Parts: sequence; structure tokens; C-alpha cells
Amino acid sequence: METLALLWDGILAATDPAIFACTILGAVVGLLIGALPGLGPTAGVAIMLPVAAGFGGVAAIACLGGVYYGSMFGGAITSILLGIPGDAPSVMTVIDGYPMAQKGEAGRALGTSVFASFVGGLLGIAGLVALSVPVSRYALAFGPTEMTAMMFFALSLLSVLGGRNAFKGFVALALGLWLGMVGLDPISALPRYTGGSMNLFDGLDFSIVAVGLFGLTAIFTSLEVNVDKPVAKYTFASLLPRMSDAVQTRWQLLQGSVLGFFVGVLPGVGASAATMLSYALAKRLSPTPEKYGTGIVEGVAAPEAANNSASYGAMIPLFTLGIPGSATTAVMMGGLIMIGLQPGPLLFTENPQFVWSVFGSFAIGNLALVFLTLLLTPLLAAALFVPTAYLYPIVIAIVVYGVFAIDNSTFNVMLTILAGGAGIILARLDYPAVPLILGLVLGPLLERNIRRTLIQSQGDLLVFVERPIALGLFIATVLVLSIPLFLKLTGRKKIAADEAEV
Amino acid sequence: MTCGLSNFVNHGRAVGLGLLTAAAIAVSPAAAEYPDKDIKMIIPFGAGGGSDTLARTIAGVIEEMKLIPVKILPENRTGGSGAVGYSAVAKEKGDPYHLATVSVSFFTTPLLGGSPVSYKDFTPLAAIAQSPYIMVVPTSSEYQKLDDLKKTPRFTTGTTGVVSDAALLAKMTSNALGIQIDSVPFDGEGEVMGALLGGHVNVGFLNPSEAMAQMKAGKLRPLAITSAERSPAFPDIPTFKELGYGEILHTQLRGLVMPADVPPEVVTYWEGILQKVATSEQWKKQYIDRFHDIPDYVDAKGFKQVLERTNGRYETMMKELGIIK
Repeated sequence: METLALLWDGILAATDPAIFACTILGAVVGLLIGALPGLGPTAGVAIMLPVAAGFGGVAAIACLGGVYYGSMFGGAITSILLGIPGDAPSVMTVIDGYPMAQKGEAGRALGTSVFASFVGGLLGIAGLVALSVPVSRYALAFGPTEMTAMMFFALSLLSVLGGRNAFKGFVALALGLWLGMVGLDPISALPRYTGGSMNLFDGLDFSIVAVGLFGLTAIFTSLEVNVDKPVAKYTFASLLPRMSDAVQTRWQLLQGSVLGFFVGVLPGVGASAATMLSYALAKRLSPTPEKYGTGIVEGVAAPEAANNSASYGAMIPLFTLGIPGSATTAVMMGGLIMIGLQPGPLLFTENPQFVWSVFGSFAIGNLALVFLTLLLTPLLAAALFVPTAYLYPIVIAIVVYGVFAIDNSTFNVMLTILAGGAGIILARLDYPAVPLILGLVLGPLLERNIRRTLIQSQGDLLVFVERPIALGLFIATVLVLSIPLFLKLTGRKKIAADEAEV
Repeated sequence: MTCGLSNFVNHGRAVGLGLLTAAAIAVSPAAAEYPDKDIKMIIPFGAGGGSDTLARTIAGVIEEMKLIPVKILPENRTGGSGAVGYSAVAKEKGDPYHLATVSVSFFTTPLLGGSPVSYKDFTPLAAIAQSPYIMVVPTSSEYQKLDDLKKTPRFTTGTTGVVSDAALLAKMTSNALGIQIDSVPFDGEGEVMGALLGGHVNVGFLNPSEAMAQMKAGKLRPLAITSAERSPAFPDIPTFKELGYGEILHTQLRGLVMPADVPPEVVTYWEGILQKVATSEQWKKQYIDRFHDIPDYVDAKGFKQVLERTNGRYETMMKELGIIK
């Protein structure tokens, strides 16, 4: 109850016109940067940092926070309309969002994503204000050993995303894992698979590859099909969101929000992994997993709820412990220092008013984004009425700009185009792109944590089963992998991955 | 051998330039015209990071104090672990209108063969602060003071990379105390702090600003600091030197460099400016007090020696680790 009163005071404090204006500014910038392919929340917060620092105090952090969760709303827009992930955490939204748009249900998909983002945000904020202290302790309990087990568990859940042909799915996953090794070896600092190129030392940026693999591949493929497809085959009414979808996806929203929150809290994992797990979990638990990937609202709701609640989860270690668990929160921490605050365990006790006002601004920003995005939805969805002959050149220009802006690097632009080309080959040979992306995201996490654990234990593998959290996760992994097999053997249920099309 | 030779060459050049400076000051008032256009401050890392804040604060203080008649324009040129930005500065050989700050990557990326330019392609101007490292253990640990560590043969510490200051210090401390501190590389300072507070590693070598908040909150206990003298921000933390380990001395200098071969009068000019910055109230308020660094002015010559020593330390470490030959 006391927490609610504090939050209410915070919300009232955040309605101060100056703070409110900065919150909205941040949210709008985040929305746009999120929608721009390539640029994501980290870049957005960094770009706004010097501007926001000038606002000082609560307004500065309210603005940066707005950029962060605003981009979670924005990323879905490009994913759904164009099939190009607006940023890394919205890659999974492409899988069902884009097919929906192609079916003429862009508005439904966008509406679902807005609603899912809102619910995810709301539950994320609730978790942030009510559970931050116990949850931060839980985050600290995850060391390299636990993270390794967590990654195994994640991969076991994700095996459902392999596509029709399990073998091809695993080949694509292995390819992703290999691509994740490009760059300086994180443990020994030796260059791997860089071909001596300095540009590859930092590894392959997952969002750059994803933009090419999903977005450009779709555009390139369209070159050989009939470009003058009848564009306006849907009515404007079909572009409007449907309220019934919110009810229909309630379980995916809840699962996604809770899962996203707890995954987001973990240091170094982030919103992208949260969306993947959320999507995989929704598909696992669905009675009709084969429908995922064909354009259903559940497939949009699950990842979109997860990435918003993950963004609030990620802020918990920052506000309660002074530990930035992700690249985006690291930049936000820079913001805290720039306005003269010392992030750390004492931030809450020394500056309660500040923290609660910032949390209040999150609640306001989250609600405001619903209206902002909904107002824009019919307008944005109208982009689908533009003939591809005009639309695609514009989109390619935007993609090139967005990718270039990440690091001011033409090399990255080449990489995106290359990924787009590789995507065509993969599609031709019927290899799914999703496992490749999963490998690229989770592979480095898995490798680093295994190797960290083995440095700590001096090569002793027993640590993986000696620590309770790790042991629990490994048991869960075995169960996830064996139960469907058991059910199949006893003839009770089909294995989801066998039938699914991703 | 190469090192000695280049030292000799550098030294010879320094003497020659010194004579030139004297001549320039004596006869040519034209030298006073520098700078006559805006100066680019290249930041080889992204906005919001440590290097970015440092560079922008220096530029801001110089502007606030109106120390130079032109503007300093900070510009982020990211990529290749600093190689892109640093190369951009170094290729402007002899041009006194390009500035950069030094960082750990300033040394490590070239040593790893990741950059066409190294510290030798820059002219050191001066340093205006030094950032020490504080060796800490979680408060829950049994170790009250540095020598208590000798009771246990092996520890782990979290670092931000295989070749990083924390890894270097772990090695130095291991040798000095006769213990083994293994470095576990993490991705970023946040993860290192999480591992330390969560008990996944036992000791940490942290920046002052990171350590301050956690120590105040009673989460971490300091054992020793790596500077030559106690830091004004942490008067109660003994130095390694005081505790009898004088060989553990390693701080990060916050300094500025220009491309190689800039005229010596430019170096003198910047020494003057940076000395004013280092002793200013603005610098103290906007940087020293915020990041708890040690205020310290080091002139071009001293700064150059530190750069050479630091580079030597990284080089030795990489050779020992088998990363480079």
C-alpha cells in the first residue's frame, strides 16, 4: 500500500509540465528511432543523452527512459508493416506481424502490438515498483554458471522454432552460432574468423544482420515476383485495431510480460533474448503451434509484451544496485552521473523523491505511447497502399541510413546487404532464418558463460550440477526436451517442431 | 632493440624541437596566432561512455573558462575498438587542430594488430587527472585487510576484457602477494560489479566512481588503492605502496594527445591551457568530484613517459598471455 502511495506521488510529480514535456519528447524520439531499421534503444538513448542531460534532474531521466520504452513500441511498426525489424527486440515480431500485414491485417497486428506493449509496460512498471529489491537479489544470484544453465534452457525452449525440417533448423542454428564467434575471442582476445579485417573485431552486430536477413531479403525476393501486385486489396477498416484481439491474447500477454520482466533483469541478457523466449513459450504452450508464423495475433502479442516489460526489468539493477545490466541502461547510468547523481545501492534511500518521480514518468509515458502509436497506426498502415515500386526504394534508403547511423560505418551497410543476399540463398534452400538469428544472439552468451564458469572452477565440470539454480535449470532443460518425445512415443501429441512452419 | 632505437630517435627529435621552440619564442611572434580555427576533438567511442564524458567535459571547461579564442568541436567516430577514431586523428600528421583523449584501447587495439596507428603516432600534450583503481572485496568476505588474502591460495576477479587494467592489476597483485588471482573477462563494468556483489568472483579492481557508491552503501570493503599517494576522495584507503607493495602502481592518466609532429610551441601552448584546466574549480566540480579521480597535472614530457610505460605493461602482459608474439 505504501508503495502505491509513493508511486501515486511520483505520478503526480511527473505531471509537472516540464517533466511531462520531456517524457513525451523522449517517448516520441524513442518511437521514431525504434521504427527506424537498425537504430535501437541503445543508440536512441545515447543520441538523446547530451540533450536530456541539459534538462537536469527528473526530466533528464524521464526523457531517457521515454526513449528506451518508446523504442519498444516503435520497433514493432517496421517489423509488421515491412517485415524489417525496427530494432533488435522486435525481430520476433516480424514472424507473425509481417504475414498479418500481407494478409491485410496490418492494423490488427499494430493494434495488438500497441496493446501488448502497453500491458507489458504496465506489468513491468508494477514489477519495477513492487519487486525491485527482491528481484535485484535474484539477479545477483545469476553468475556465469547459472547463466550457462539458463542459456541451455533457452535453447531447449527455442528448439521449437526450427521450422518444418528439424535438420535444416539445426544447420541454420549452427551457422548462427558460428557467426556469433566472429570477432575478438571474448576470453583470450585472439581474433577469430575476421579475415584480418579490423571491421570485424567487434563481431557481427545482431541487429545489422537481422535487418538484412529479414528486411532486405524480403525486398530482394520481391524483385522476381510481380512487383505490381494489387496493392489496395484490403479496406481501410481492416487497418484498424480490434479490441477482441486483446482478450484473445490475454495469456500470451501475461506470459510474455512476466517472462520478459525476469529475463530482462538478468545482467547481459536483454530484451531481445526475452522476446525469443516469450515467443517460443507461447508456441510451446499453444494447442495449435502450427499456426505460429502464419500471421496470428498471439505471435505478435507474446514478443511485444516481453520486450516492454524487459525494458523495465533491465532498469531494476540500475536503480537498486547501480549496476547497468544492458548496453542501454549503461548509457542511462551515464545520464544519472551527468545530472550529478551517484547510481548505486543508496540512490533509492538518498533520493527517493527522484526515483519515484522517474517511475511516475514511466507510468505516464507508457500510457501516452498508446495514444501516440494508435493515432499514428492508420497513417502508418497506409504505407501498405503505396505500390512497392515506390515504397521499396524509399525503404532501402531508410535501411541504409539507419544501419549506417549505428556506427557511421559503410562496412555495416555492406554487411546488411550481404546478409540480405545470404537470406535469399537460405530461403531458396528452405533453411529457416530464425534459428540463425537465435544462434547469433544466444551463442556468444552461451560461450562466454561456459568459459567464465570453467575459468572459475579451473576446468571442473561438476560446478554445473553443484549449484542449485543451475541444477534446476538443467533439469528443466531435460524435461522440455524429453516430454514431447515421450508424448510422441506414447502417441498422445505431435511434436510442435515437426509440423510448424516458421 | 627497436624500442631502444625509437627512444633514441624520439629523444633526439625532442632535443631538436626544444631548440626550435626556444628559437620560435625568441624571434617569432607569429607563433602566438595559433589557434586560428576551430579544433576537432575526436572521440573514438560512443556517446555516453567514459571517454565521451571525459572529452566533452574537458571541451566544456575550456569553453566556459574562455581559455582559447576558438571552439572545440567534439565528434564521435566509433568503430574497431577505437581504431577508427584514433586513426582519423593520427593521419592528420603535424596538424595541431585535432585532439583526442587516451583510453585503454589507445594502447591495446594497436598492440593486438587491430589498428594501423599506435601511441607513437601521437604527440602527448598533458594529463590533467589520474584515475586510480581500488582493490575491493564484498563486505561479507572474511578478508579485512590486504595481507589477509595470503591465507587463501586462489581468487578470481572480474575484468572488462582479457587485456584490461583490472587483469593487469590482478597479475601484479598475484606476483606481489604470492597468490593466484585468475581474471574472468565479462562484458562491461556492470556485469563485473554484478559478479562481485553476487559472490561469483572474490575480489575486484574498480574505478573510483564505481567503488564509491558501493562502499558508501556498505556492500564493498576497500583493501588498497593503486595510486602513489592516497586519493583525496578516499583518504582512508591505504596505497599498495604503504602496505609494502610499491611495485603495484598503476593509474589511468586523463590526458590529451594530438597527431605526431605538431610544432613544439603548440605543445607548450596546450600545456599552459591544460594546467589552467587541471587547477580550475570548474574541472574539479564537473569531473573530479563526480568521478572521484585524483587531480594531477602532468606535463607533456611526463605524460609521454607514462604512455610509454603503460604501453610496455600491456605489451608484456599480452606476450605473457600468448596473445601476441
